[in-house]
Amino acid sequence: MAKDSVTSEEDRVLRIWTPRILRTTLVMSTVVLVAGMVAMATQAPGYYVARYHAVQHGHIHENEGWAQLVQGAHRGDPHAIMTIGLYILTLVPLARVAFTFFLFLKERDYVFVAATAYVLAGLIFGVMLGRIG
Amino acid sequence: MLTIVAGLFALAIGAGFVGALSGLGGGVFIVPGLVILAHVPMHIAVGASLISVVATSAGASVAFVRDGWTNLRVAMILECATVTGAVTGAYMAGVISAPMLEMLFALMMLQSAYFSITKHGDELVPTSDRLCARLRMGGVVIGDDGVERTYGVVNLPGGAALMVVAGVMSGLLGVGSGALKVAAMDYLMKLPLKVSSATSNFMIGVTAGAGALVFLARGDIATAVAAPVALGVTAGALVGSRLLPHLNVTALRKLFIVILILIAIEMGWRALSGF
Repeated sequence: MAKDSVTSEEDRVLRIWTPRILRTTLVMSTVVLVAGMVAMATQAPGYYVARYHAVQHGHIHENEGWAQLVQGAHRGDPHAIMTIGLYILTLVPLARVAFTFFLFLKERDYVFVAATAYVLAGLIFGVMLGRIG
Repeated sequence: MLTIVAGLFALAIGAGFVGALSGLGGGVFIVPGLVILAHVPMHIAVGASLISVVATSAGASVAFVRDGWTNLRVAMILECATVTGAVTGAYMAGVISAPMLEMLFALMMLQSAYFSITKHGDELVPTSDRLCARLRMGGVVIGDDGVERTYGVVNLPGGAALMVVAGVMSGLLGVGSGALKVAAMDYLMKLPLKVSSATSNFMIGVTAGAGALVFLARGDIATAVAAPVALGVTAGALVGSRLLPHLNVTALRKLFIVILILIAIEMGWRALSGF
């Protein structure tokens, strides 16, 4: 057992809520990914095989927008469901950094507000950089 | 389809399992596994690996944070450096050729092997330096002997500089760069080894997540590969970490280092053939 020096109230809240956020988003993404793969295996196994071989030959560019993915998932499109599962998984760290940002804002610990804001901005900048690059 | 998924899943479980037992993380093994055995292009292997690293970090961090091993203040400050590096590395991965990435990966594997055989010290400092004291980064750790020890934290700029490098490696090569992160906190910042490991594991999620977001937004994450790989690596890492206390890790680690060097040679050879 170790203790860091985060003040007791912040410490208590972070140690309770961070594992909850991590576990919840992880379970959510796993459920969505498994559902997508089961749907793919039952509805469109040939489509998966074709996509996989295209990937092996370097022919991929999976750049669907959020709206397209949500519409696809709504229609039960397995590829859209699996991609949303991957997005949820990637948002795991984003969710816990966002939570920490608001916690430190509430506690008026501005050095850590700035640090978490920088990390959030970096993650958003990464998305923008990926879109243009 | 089932044959492909079963193959990817088995590969990912193996990588996650060996990654957890060796302490090197699944990324170090899944990227070469996908490139050499599944004939997946290097960029796609890196993207799929980044997603699986996010998942394993989140899974492992739950217990470490709950039990108080993770130094959250140190993590939150150093994440500024790792995210900067990861976004830069992930952007660079989009413009660097596959053979060059493979060569860099081989060199990174040799560096991981070196870190695995060098001994970590646990030289604690009683008080933090001025900057770290201002950020209240120090803490208390209970040693194996049950005695509670206060530790200070020093050299934040030095640690942050190495974290930028660790972030670049993560975004560029699809690994967690845990060995480098632990070394930075343990050697440079004088955090206790177990706190360094837990804090590194926690930061790996954000670091790999930043890189994965760049890959996702660029369209370089192949769902057909990344989905079974993420599930498999997470499952393998879970089993590996559960079995870890019951196995002779010292003997196994020697075997893993040999495997690591052999894979590094294979990746290096592939890179040279591709130039």
